[in-house]
Parts: sequence; C-alpha cells; structure tokens
Amino acid sequence: MSAAIAERMRSLDQTTEDALRPPRYGWAALVAVSLTCIAIGVYSWSLIIRFGMQYTGLNRPVGWGVLITDFVFWVGIAHSGTLISAVLFLFRARFRTAVYRAAEAMTVFGVMTAGLFPIIHLGRPWYAHWILPYPNQRHLQINFRSPLVWDAFAISTYFCVSAMFLLAGLMPDAAALRDGSQGLRRRFYALFALGWRGTAEEWRHHGRAYLFFAAFATPLVISVHSVVSWDFAVSIVPGWHSTLFPPYFVAGAILSGVAMVITLLIPIRRAMKLESIITLDHFDMLSRLVILTSLILTYSYSTEFLLALRAGPGPERDTLLYRATGAFWPFFWLMVLGNCVGPLFLFFKRVRGSLVGLFFVCVLVNVGMWLERFNIVVSSLEHNRVPFDWGTYHPRLVEIGITLGSFGWFFFWFLLFLKLLPAISVSELKEDAHHAALHEAAHAA
Amino acid sequence: MPGIGRRFFLKVVSATGVAAACSPSHAPEKLIPLLNPPENLVPGKPLFYRTVCRGCGAGCGVTARSREGRVVKLEGNPDDPISAGALCARGQAELQGLYAPDRLRGPLARQGDELKPLPWAAALAQLGGLLGKLRGSDGRIAGLRLLSRCEPGSAGAVQRSFASALGAAKNARVVFEPRDLASLRAANMKLFGRAELPVLALSRARSVVSFGADFLETWLSPVEQARGLMAGRGEPDRTRLTWISPRLSMSGANADTWLCTAPGEELQVALELLRWLLDPVNQVAALPPEAAAIRAALPPPRPLRGVSPEQVAHLGRELSLRRPSALLGPPASASGAEGRALAAAVQLCNLVLGNFGKSMQLGLGSELDAPSPEEDLYALLEEARRGEVTVLLLHRADPLGKLPASARVEEALRKVPLIVSLGERLDATARLAHFVLPDHHALESFGDLEPRKGMLALQQPVLSPLWDTRASSQVLLDLAAALKLPGIADKDFRELSKARWQAGAKALGAKLDTPQAQRDVQAQGVVVGHVEALQPALKLDGLAPLLFTKPSPAEGLHLVAFATALANADPEAPGWLREVPDVLTGVSWSSWAELSQATAQRLGVKTGDLLALSTDQGKAELAALISPALHDDAVAVPQDAPELRALGTPGRAVRLERTGKTFPLALTGRASQEGRDLARVIAEGGAPKREQGHEQGRTLVAPHEHPQHRWAMSIDLDKCTGCQACVVACYAENNLPVVGPQAAREGRLMAWLRIQRSVEKGASLEASRVALLPSLCQHCDAAPCEPVCPVYATYHTPEGLNAQVYNRCIGTRYCANNCPYDARVFNWEDPVFVEPLQMQLNPDVSVRSKGVMEKCTFCVQRIRFAEGTARDEGRPVRDGEVTPACVQTCPAQALVFGDAKDPKSRVALAQAESRGYRLLEEVNTLPAIAYQARRGGKG
Repeated sequence: MSAAIAERMRSLDQTTEDALRPPRYGWAALVAVSLTCIAIGVYSWSLIIRFGMQYTGLNRPVGWGVLITDFVFWVGIAHSGTLISAVLFLFRARFRTAVYRAAEAMTVFGVMTAGLFPIIHLGRPWYAHWILPYPNQRHLQINFRSPLVWDAFAISTYFCVSAMFLLAGLMPDAAALRDGSQGLRRRFYALFALGWRGTAEEWRHHGRAYLFFAAFATPLVISVHSVVSWDFAVSIVPGWHSTLFPPYFVAGAILSGVAMVITLLIPIRRAMKLESIITLDHFDMLSRLVILTSLILTYSYSTEFLLALRAGPGPERDTLLYRATGAFWPFFWLMVLGNCVGPLFLFFKRVRGSLVGLFFVCVLVNVGMWLERFNIVVSSLEHNRVPFDWGTYHPRLVEIGITLGSFGWFFFWFLLFLKLLPAISVSELKEDAHHAALHEAAHAA
Repeated sequence: MPGIGRRFFLKVVSATGVAAACSPSHAPEKLIPLLNPPENLVPGKPLFYRTVCRGCGAGCGVTARSREGRVVKLEGNPDDPISAGALCARGQAELQGLYAPDRLRGPLARQGDELKPLPWAAALAQLGGLLGKLRGSDGRIAGLRLLSRCEPGSAGAVQRSFASALGAAKNARVVFEPRDLASLRAANMKLFGRAELPVLALSRARSVVSFGADFLETWLSPVEQARGLMAGRGEPDRTRLTWISPRLSMSGANADTWLCTAPGEELQVALELLRWLLDPVNQVAALPPEAAAIRAALPPPRPLRGVSPEQVAHLGRELSLRRPSALLGPPASASGAEGRALAAAVQLCNLVLGNFGKSMQLGLGSELDAPSPEEDLYALLEEARRGEVTVLLLHRADPLGKLPASARVEEALRKVPLIVSLGERLDATARLAHFVLPDHHALESFGDLEPRKGMLALQQPVLSPLWDTRASSQVLLDLAAALKLPGIADKDFRELSKARWQAGAKALGAKLDTPQAQRDVQAQGVVVGHVEALQPALKLDGLAPLLFTKPSPAEGLHLVAFATALANADPEAPGWLREVPDVLTGVSWSSWAELSQATAQRLGVKTGDLLALSTDQGKAELAALISPALHDDAVAVPQDAPELRALGTPGRAVRLERTGKTFPLALTGRASQEGRDLARVIAEGGAPKREQGHEQGRTLVAPHEHPQHRWAMSIDLDKCTGCQACVVACYAENNLPVVGPQAAREGRLMAWLRIQRSVEKGASLEASRVALLPSLCQHCDAAPCEPVCPVYATYHTPEGLNAQVYNRCIGTRYCANNCPYDARVFNWEDPVFVEPLQMQLNPDVSVRSKGVMEKCTFCVQRIRFAEGTARDEGRPVRDGEVTPACVQTCPAQALVFGDAKDPKSRVALAQAESRGYRLLEEVNTLPAIAYQARRGGKG
C-alpha cells in the first residue's frame, strides 16, 4: 500500500473517530454564532406576527421583497446536492464520491430553510396550513391553479426525497459509528443506521435502492426550480411573465448550489483535514460545472433583454431597462459581475487551481445569485403597468434580521451535521481506496 | 377539621386555582332585550334622516344613514336642488367632525391658567352672575360683542335678539366668515346695490371662465357648480372652461384653456377682456345700454405680462359667440380694492354678455344673515385692544386661528375680561376663553336655514348628542331667561325654530295643516318655493373708482393662495381630508409651498426641501414642492395652511431661502403616464385609438357566465373633476382606516379608489394638461388576481364581482402583485379607529385585520341591500337602484353603475359610447369598468 493510499485510509478513519470525539471550541463558537442569528431572526419574525408587515419595507406596488428573494435563493442553494449526488451518480462521475455527502446535507438544510419563507412572508402565518389540501368541516378547497400551491407540493416533495436520499447513503457510515460507540450515542447512530449489519444481501439492496432514489431525484432537480420560477412566470407582471424562466431558474439554481458547495467545502476540507480525500481535482470538476451554468445564465440574461428590447416600447421593455438603470442599478451590475463575469476567470487553470481564487469567485456567485432574485422580484414590482404607482422598496431591519436568521438556521444544522455525522461518504471512499490498493498491488505483482 | 385529608385539600386548592386562572377577564355584557323597543329601531335595518350640511355656506341637503342609533354615512339629499343627491369630500367628512376625538365633551370654565370641567348648571349660573354684574343702569352691557359665523336661520335670529337686548353697541353682533367671498359681495353691492353672492346655473352656460375661482373645490357652491358644468360635458359640443390664474388648480385642470397670468394680473386680464368686449371694433352683439358708460369708466390699458392680447381677444371672441356664458371670480383669497376691482370687472363682463338671469342669478341670496364687512371685524378688534370690549361671545368663530397674525387678535383677546366660546372644539380662540360652552355638532342639532331665497332647509338631529353639549342658541335663550332680558320670550330653541320654519314653509307655499303633512316636510328635509331672480340694474356712479387698477406687479416671487377640495394642509381637518392625497400634488398630511420648475432650478430647490418664506408681514417655514403647472413668479400655498396666517394675505412679494433642512412630505403617486395613455384624451369628434396586435376577449378558459346580473361601471373622464368626493365616500362606506403620515410616506394608504393624475407636458406651460383617472378594482372577467390565490380568498361571483373573502385570506400578496391596475390594498397593520371614531364604522362592512388583502367590492353590501329590497317588494332590481358610495356621491355624475346585462341600463348605454375604452386592454383582463375618454377641446 502506497503512502498516499495509506494517508487516505488514515484520514477516513480519522473522520469516523472525529464524529465520536467531544466538540472543539471553534465548532462550539460557530454554533453559538448560528444560534444568535436564529434568535435575531425569530425576534424579527415575532415583530411581524405581532404588529403586522408594517415592519418590512413592503408597500403598495412592491408586495414581495427580501423574504421571497431569500426563499428563491435557498431553494437554489438546495439544488446542487441532488445534482451532484443523483445526476452525477447516474452519469457515473466518480469525482462526486468525495463531495456528495456535504452537498446532500446542504440540500436538505437548504430546503428546510427555504420552506420557512413562504410561511414567514405571509400576512397571517398562523393560517399557513390552509395552503395544504386537508379535509375540513367547511369543505374548503385549495386553488390548484395557484403556483403557490404547486410550490407547497414541489418543496415538500423535494424535501422528502432529498432527505431520504441523504439517509439512505448515510446508513453504512452510521452503522460504523454505531458500532464504535456506547450508550446514548450508540442509540443515536442506531437510528440512522436502521439496523444495518453489512451483509452482502443488504449491500445489494442498498445499491439498488440508491440507484432508484437517484433516478427518482433527478427529475426533481429540474421540476422544483421550474415550479419556483412559475411563481413569477405564470403571473402577468412585466419582468416576470416569461417562458424563459424555468430553464433560466434551474441553471441559476445549479450555479448557486455548486458555488455554495465549493464555498462550504473549502473551509471544511481545511478544518477537518480532508486534503487527501477532497483533492484539487474535485474542485476542478466542480469549477467546470460553475462555468457551464454561468454561461447558460449569461445566455438567459441576454435573451431576456433582447426579447424585451425587441418587443418595442411598453411595460416589458421599461421594466427591464429599469432593472439595469433604475434605483437598484448597482445591484444589477454587481449581479452581472458575480454571475457572468466572475466565473469566466475560472477558465484560467491558475484561478481554478487556487483555492483562494476559487473561493472568492464562488462567494461572488453567491452574492450575485441572491441579487439576481432580488432584482427579479423587486424591480419588476416597482415598475408595473401603472406608472402612477411606480415606487421603490427598501429592505428594513426586520427583513435583514430574518435573512440573518435563515443563515443561522442553515449553518446550525450544517454544523451539527459536520460534528455528528461523517461529512464524506466513508464507506464509498474506503471502497475506492481499497480498490486503488488492490490495483496497486496487482501492478506491483 | 377532621375529614379533610392532605389529598383532598390539594384537590380543592388546585381546582379553585385552575378556576381562578381560567375565569374570563371581562364579564360578559348583559344582553337583555328592551321591554318596549324604540319605535322604528330594527337592528340591522338602516334609518334615513334628512338634514342640512353646515360644512360650508352652500347649504347642501343631506340624507344621513343611521344604524342602531349611530349615523354611519352622509349622502346628498336627492330632493334638495343644491346637492341633488351628491355631496363633496368635505361634506362626506362632516361625519368625522361629528365623531372627532378632539370634540369638547362638556363645559369648561377658567380657573387660574387652566380650563377646568364644570357642570352646565354651575357654568350657566356663574356666567349669568358675571353678566348680571356687568349690566349697566339700562340693563345693557356696553362692551358686549357677539362674534358668530353666518347663521341664516333661527340661530342667527336668536343671536341678533340677544345681542340687541343685552348689548348696547350698534354692531354688537359681528358675523365672521373667514372664507367669505367678500370682494364679490362688495362689488355686487357697489354695482347692483345688493351685497350678496350670485347663484349659478352653469348647466346653461356654454362657456365658463374662471378668474382663479375654485368653483369646483370650495368657491360658493361647489357641488351644484360641478353638476352644472359637467351637465354640459361628455357631448361633442361641450361646455368650455377657461382658467385664468397663475396656478393650475383642480378647477383649472378641468379647463380647455389656461391663461397663465403673473400673480395678481388676473385683474388686468379681466379689464382687458371687458375692454375688448366693449370695443365697438369687435362688434360684440347685444351689448347692454350701459356699455358706453362702462367703457368710459374703464381705466387706461396697461401692458400684460403673462397673457398676450391675442389670447384675450380669442377669449372675447369665444364669449361673444358662445352664449350664455359665466364668468366667475375672484377667489376668496382676493381681498382689498384689487379684489373688489376684479370682482367688479368679472361681474361687468357677465352683465355685458347678458349672463344675468340665464347662467347667473342675483337676488336669490338669503337676506336673513350675511357676513359683516371686514371693517366691522377690525373695528371690533380695535375696540378690544382699547379695552372697550368687556364681554365677547364667540359662536363657532375662531378669529385667532383664522385671521392673519398681522390682525393682532391675541393682543385684542387678552384685553377682554370675559370671553365665552360656544363652539365644538378647543380652537386657538377658545383656549383664551373664560367659559367654553360646547355646542352640538350640526348633525345633533335642530335648526333651520335659508340657503337662498325661496328655499328652506331643515336642520334635524340624526343622532342624540354624543357628549354633554348644548345648542348655543339654547344657551343664549337660557341666559336671556336668567337675565330676564326684555323682548326674548322664547324658552326653548327647538320650539322657536319649529315655529320659524313652519312660518317660512307656509310662506313658500307648503301645506302644513296636518301632523302628517308636517312630518312629510320633515322627511323631505327641504322646502322649495319659487322666487324670481332680479334683472340687476347697474349703478353707474362710482364705477370708475371701483375699477381701480395698479401697474402689473413687478417681477419677482409673489405669494399665491389656492383652495383644495380636501384639507391636507389644515391641521384641524378630519383624518379623511388630511390623508386622501391632494389630487394635483399627491401631498397628504402637511402644508407645502409650490414653486415652478424654473424657479426651483434657479434657487436650487428640490421637492422636500424646507424653505423659509418671508413677507413684509412675517415668516414661515414650508416644504417645497416643484409644480409642473405654476407661473414662474408664483409661490403657491394651500389656503388652509396655518403658515399662511404668518405670511399675511396673498398677493404680496415673498422671499425664499433654503434652510438646509428637509421635510418628509407624504407624497403619493407619480404624475406621469410614461406615454402609456391610461387616461385618454381624444380630439373633438374623435374616437380613442384601440390597442393593436391582440385579440380582445379571446381566452383559453371560457368567460364567466352571469346568469342574473353583471355589475359594471362607467367612468366619464370628460366629467370627472378630481374632487375626490368619491374617495372620501369610499372611506366612509367601507371602513377604510386612516393610517397617518408615516404610513402615507411609506406608500401604505388604504384607499380602494384613487384619482391617478398625470401631467402631460405641452410645448409651453399653458399647454400642459392634467389627466385624471379614477382608478379602482376593475372587477375583471378574466381577473389575474383570482388564479394566483392559493386558498380561493378571491373569486368571481355569479354577478360578475371580483370578491375578496377576508376570513380566508392568508396574506400572500400574490394577487396584489399580479393585479395590473394595482387596485389591491394590503393591511400592513391592524387598523386603528381612535375613540369615538369607531362609532362611524359601517356595520354592513367588516373591519379587516392585519395581514389581509382588501380592495373595492363595488359596495357589495349596497348591492345586497338593493337586491333584498327588490325581492321583498317582489320586483326586479331597477336600473340606478344600486349605487356604490362613489357613484352615489359624485357631484359631476361622472360615474354610472348598473347591470351590464340589461342592454337598456344607463351603464350599458354609457359603456357602448364611442369614447369608451377599457384600461390596459392589451392584458385582456376584460374589466367591468369602461372609461370614456376626455374630449380634448380646441384650446
């Protein structure tokens, strides 16, 4: 066994052991920060619940703002996980093995975050359940024509499937942790291991089931964000009403998701000393995905503008021009910089290969993608069909607090996951390493 | 105690503890039905009472709708020839005056520096004692003065007899009307020997010219005048309106031609117009015999600055051909010799054109009471300053709050040892009073009124007094009885008033023989007789000095005051009038100073900058607002602005300085259509252009079927004046909350119906046009709001209404985003109705809570009421029987409502008109509202 493979094996064992060790101070500090953010978010939301939406910056023309931006942003973040684990699994892209667990966890927590916003942004959130079709005495129906109902279905389906996918992949690793632990902790891991014993029969079923889930989850990657885009595309608001939106949103979601995966993996790799497992090659492959989706997005932006300009004078054109030149013009051009220009630098091997450069580009993409949603949501509403009502929207502290809270909520779960469960698929990587060792031995022989 | 174990004890303790913790914090109200329920009072059934509006001097008849003992809505009295069923915004808001939280709730008397509550009996006894001590040997008080608003009825009669019985001075009673058209009154006195205001019949005029007279806002009788002007609109040969003023006011926005004069130059224009009409060269037909004499009295011509002679000649030609016409002016703000001269010139034009007896009548003004000449008021103040006034009774008069600071009212009041204020609220003058004896609100009082000759309006209480108040006339009668004043035998004002109005009604030919006949007159609310108007005889002596002229004012900024239909600038006005944005500027909740674009640029001022204005009279700080329709030399301030008091009467030179501070003006709406042509204007005889490139009416889903009715509205933009009476009526009918200045700044006004404005810039300032568009829920057949609601909180009813179920709404706001008309309103917070304003709430309409979407319902409660009545009477709903609050109150009758399924209904006919179009046809929402484009005129 070569030194490299031995290093990989040791690192993998380390991961399993790390999960069983008491937490480090750095981790605890991060959790404390996350909890503080959550507290700020909860307090902000409580203000809205008690005193009404007057605490937001929303007004007569602008009915949706930062909260819906956050919703679309987090749904977008939730995209890459399934893409990386399911789609790439089906395409047999081996580089996924090292990164998919973290990506999947990100997906689940991303959906968990996104799913809060449709409730938070309601005028009467205590009646949020009315959006679900449940039998009731008053025979009240929900309106299946409304994209918001489609949203409820799409998001809940996506959450269930991605959570199952994550748990299915986790089973063997959880069993290993269970076997190495005692007491309460053992019972915790036993919950995730679902009685896994590692028999050949179990491995066979597991492989089949995993394939099935991958096949099942793949169309959801397309459908979820298409449905989210319909929130806008189905309306008749200039700047929203566009058939381009579904593919454009999906590409955007993948871009933001992959960028988020990279943004998270770079520090995790460093903190958990996974350099031998998550290698620069992995980042290289992910960077290519960023470039691809960024180019699709650039194309979509151009199409949107060209079509609007070609449509001649009218609300459509005015709204699009307003987006680029109106009250939030810096946001628009920052978005172009982050989503279209920044990723172009990844064509250079030097940037792609340097983790600092890559990290910087991906953070910029994340900012750009958030701004993209903000621009779409807000500028279109600010500039609707009746010029008398054209107005502006300025986010208020409460909305910023809730946004902060959503980041706290996301990272809280993610940190728990990093500490308690292996952030990489140990069993699969061990299998890979074992294969490599056998391969090496065969060569040596 | 034996038998109580530990466990049992704990059981009892916990049970009582739980019971105590769960007991309701409020004991339920006892609901015991009345043994003898009041007659006519059926819960849920409205009662209608007739009375008269005392909001201004016009005297519109009012129908008050009362529910369970509370009046909830005011509407015009359809039997009244002045209001004809309509009411202006201020009239609608009288209701909020009634329920105003700051109304006085009982008598107050001064104890040291403070006004302290006192029971009526004690207050009257104290006051009677003080008055008794002040009486001289002849039983009179030499220094007694009574200052009252104009009371052409029994109240005035009581005041006069009280003042003459107790007071010694000749002008012991002075009538003070701050908004009186004193100049016009004085000019009519000089010209025709009648100190009265004309009665206009604008429906007979083919051309109307207004010299800055806001005859659609507050001038004279706005409801009647709006109806008259707009009766001649909509048709191809429509009534033309020319507006002559430095500022394009709301009345001016309805004009075909605007002659933008320099401030104060209206007089020159009127004189030049008169000169043109009288010049034999111009061959104006049918000149009166006095023409030559008038011509001889005209002052020599002076050059005009803002207006060209061609424009005057053009107007003269129009007036000589289009007869009869009506020339109106000057506004209330015109004062002094100049104001009288303008009024005289205007009236002489009317005389020369033969308008008297046709579009304008003299001799109909009530002679029962009239505002005193300004001299009398200033004499009273002077006497007070000299310490000669010992008792000052104030009846609904607030000289300190209304007169300019230069009148030194406070100094005068401080010298008066006994001031008694008989009013509704603690206004500036009442704060200095020694006794404050609160009067009933007009809607709580008995009384009678002669708005004009040949008419008698009954003032009848529509609810029992809310507070411990007493009718001022009754207070005077009580004092008279206590002081045993000679010549005042009446003890009860109600009886006195009844005797008077019955005598008056009999004189007008009403039959009052039986109690039923009396009740019928009371139910009618108004008695109308016939009085011939006078053909005024011109008094030629003193004509030349009356037509005083001075050189056109020098260049430089001058103060201009303008009236608004609402009262955004008046801090004492009720919430509705302050919150509904001014129709031309969008300002609510504050006063402002308008500057033209060029002036603002020259001074480097932006909208919202706080300006320091100073005149020779004083200084004031006002927020700047850049106006697209104002003469460069004008600084225009709303007439209601309290700051105007410091600056003195308008017309004087004003200096502007920036303070460096800004003022957060609450501004609503952008005054531009961005070329989208929402409020359309068509050339005379033309039809509005249709949207191209889309197939109107084609939908994927089959259109709705409406088995019985399809409620629809038609809005004639040629008739809409922009007065916003409809908006205020909507607030009243539909329980819309007043949200205050901060929410207004944030774009969170709750109005369901708004008048959208846009200023279409022409080649010159005068060529600018203001387009107004009443905008409300369009009740689309293919409503974009309906499919996007996840919970069916909004849906299409079988009668074509786009309904909103507040209880079902969860507040996604998706519907509002998707509404192309921005017609939907979200409740950003729980509504607040300050006690006792909640008593005005219409019980037929629910009060919405925070987090819920709402919008215009076409007043579904009124539709249901009419349908219910029709069903009870076993007949179909008649056309015109259903009127939403906005349609009901529209003085111009620009709005028509009805069933579009009935091809003969007024709304169906109006919708089929050639000027008709729908808003945003390209979105294919199939709205239920059709607009009729405004006619452009030739100007």
